[in-house]
Amino acid sequence: MSRQGRWVYALLAAALALALLAACAPPAAPAPAAGEAPAEQAAPPPSLEQQVLGVWITWGDNPAQLQSLFDRYGAANNVKVEVNSPVDDDKVIAGLSGSEPPDILVTGGPDSVGTWAREGLIIPLDDFLAGGEVDINDIFEAPLGQCKYQGKYYCLPWGTDTYALFWNKDLFEEAGLDPEQPPQTMEELAEYAKKLTKIDDNGNITQVGFIPDFSWSHLGLYTAMMGGYWYSEDGTRITFTSDPVVNALKWEQQFYCDYNTEDVLRFTSAFGGYMSPDNGFYAGKVAMMVEGEWQPGVNFIQKYKPELYYGVAPFPPPQANPERKNTNLVSGTVAMIPSGVKDKAAAWKLMAWMMSPEIVAEEMVANFNLPSSKKAAEDPRFHENDKFEVFLKLMSDPNAKAPILTPINAEVDTELGQIEEQVLHTCADPLPLLEAAQAKLQPMLEKALAE
Amino acid sequence: MAVRTGGGNVRRVWLRGPGWSRGERRRLLTGLLFISLWIIGFFAFTLYPMVASLYYSFTEYHIKRASEWIGLGNYVALFRDPLFWKSLSNTAYMVAIGVPLSLFVSFVCALLLNIKVRGQSIYRVVYFLPSIVPTVASTLLWLWILNPNSGLLNTLLGEIGIRGPNWTRDPAWSKPALILLGLWGVGNTIIIYLSGLQDVPVSLIEAAELDGANRWQRLWAITIPLVSPITLFNLIIGVIATFQYFAQAYVLSAGVSPVGSGLGAPLNSTLFYSVYLYQQGFVYLKMGYASAQAWILFIVIMICTVLLLRSSERWTYYEGG
Repeated sequence: MSRQGRWVYALLAAALALALLAACAPPAAPAPAAGEAPAEQAAPPPSLEQQVLGVWITWGDNPAQLQSLFDRYGAANNVKVEVNSPVDDDKVIAGLSGSEPPDILVTGGPDSVGTWAREGLIIPLDDFLAGGEVDINDIFEAPLGQCKYQGKYYCLPWGTDTYALFWNKDLFEEAGLDPEQPPQTMEELAEYAKKLTKIDDNGNITQVGFIPDFSWSHLGLYTAMMGGYWYSEDGTRITFTSDPVVNALKWEQQFYCDYNTEDVLRFTSAFGGYMSPDNGFYAGKVAMMVEGEWQPGVNFIQKYKPELYYGVAPFPPPQANPERKNTNLVSGTVAMIPSGVKDKAAAWKLMAWMMSPEIVAEEMVANFNLPSSKKAAEDPRFHENDKFEVFLKLMSDPNAKAPILTPINAEVDTELGQIEEQVLHTCADPLPLLEAAQAKLQPMLEKALAE
Repeated sequence: MAVRTGGGNVRRVWLRGPGWSRGERRRLLTGLLFISLWIIGFFAFTLYPMVASLYYSFTEYHIKRASEWIGLGNYVALFRDPLFWKSLSNTAYMVAIGVPLSLFVSFVCALLLNIKVRGQSIYRVVYFLPSIVPTVASTLLWLWILNPNSGLLNTLLGEIGIRGPNWTRDPAWSKPALILLGLWGVGNTIIIYLSGLQDVPVSLIEAAELDGANRWQRLWAITIPLVSPITLFNLIIGVIATFQYFAQAYVLSAGVSPVGSGLGAPLNSTLFYSVYLYQQGFVYLKMGYASAQAWILFIVIMICTVLLLRSSERWTYYEGG
């Protein structure tokens, strides 16, 4: 190599080495300018002993609001709370199984709690609850029920969700129905849906009365309304073939199969995004829908279609069972403590703070979710919106139900989802599909529970 | 053992034998030092996980507790699992139909892009561009193009009087939809074919022209055989990649229908092998099962590649050999 070449080579190698070193070096503290006294620094540096608590929240369209909420705990208790939101599912698994789990994990639903409890990834909170920092009687029964697994509480609800029937009053009037009178029974709902479905001369659907799985599946609600669930009460048996499940699927089926399912599917796939003015319900393409308590809030209908003229009412019971009025499936955000957390007492203290009525009230007002704490529910801010009140009443109704947890929730949900898809989109008979699935899942459940 | 060349002769000698000078040994060690980073990375991030997954495939994996050894239990369960066979058949569909189709389309495009016309370089860029669009972005884009009601594809079909199928919700059409998405992005393969076409000696083509061969005969008898090594390369790469098909199916099924089924929607028609593996390992946390799946895939791809290479001796022609 020529002399010159050697120098260039050496220079490049040095530059590469420097770049590598810079990536590895810790961030350098800014050096004070000459003459400046160190005492002029604005805030005192955090003490080296200050604990750092990690909170991971799997949802979150406003991470800044969440961080500022938790900063209040941090300031009052001289700890630093780092909020990660939103967090991917993959990262959650890695975090739970790794050596640096978050001190508190907050998920949008209790679906995985059973699986994680079985795998020993999260700890039961019963011993902590005995200490009394959290008043368990202050939490509504329904959302609390979703955290019970094999007799112990593996999580606590942090606000919760439930669903009700929304209807478009303008479309009701057009169809000759009383806009102030929602359907009072499931059979009536089906009747109204027929009147509200419009098909043009070419055979194309231009408006649909009701789509049972609009946005996502509400099979849980329909099954509860039919008087049961797909697990036994104690979570040890799969009850796919029970009447409530079969009847719920058969009831759902008519909204697709009374028409050409292909046409219905085409119509629904033209809907715009969930959070956009072209949402099927906002745009007046679907006359009725089952949706959650966040819809009447500032981030949804008020934001995308404030002029929508609609009503909210509890989902109606079947005609033969008026005693099931106000049945609803309550399920929502839950908070848990991973088993790998070193200072569990500190994590519990933070969780107790999260569960306090003032904080629950504050966070649920910000998110427009239901407060899971009874005291928080008395906050006048939750009673300003009369549509929101419908949901509040549903959550505290004696007929409010919580989903039952098992360690194979994920497999069961997938299986049910596929059965629902076949029943709705291909008009298949639900019973044989349910029998086959039950035969496959029951041994799986028994094995998982035995571990 | 090391091979050492000297003056054009290749002799096999031992590293520490009398043939190695101190300088040569030092150069070898320097070279090893330079690639030591890669070796460490390879052992840590490729070899170790591979061996670990082989071990875990024989166990019932638990995250916090010790994994229990169950021998061939996972493999037996897999062969009895109808979804395993479904995922295999879905993937085989993509390989058997998607790969040859994409080779055909890219070869035709390469032929066209080889014609000397004005703006040839612009055309080449345009045809290459789709392949550099990131996978997730292109899949989301195609979700809209494939929309049965208002999507571009069905609108265009409607113009010529065809009622386009329900691409994303009909189990019969979801895989063809994915193949279309794949065909849109064959830019890489086109470029490789283009380079192969440049190597076809013009003298041979001209000689054939003088002998009276028409364009089709020239293509069939000269061009195609001479790019057959490229075809073999693209075929093997395509088969290996398509057996691991994941990203587009994952994004598509997430965007298709929120009703329950999720992965593999609609109705398990897009449940490809890797998608099913992902579901077992990362949704259901059955890592042992998923590891067994991974190793079966490895063996399947290995067998396919070996078969392809063996058969290639019959249909590939290497210039000068």
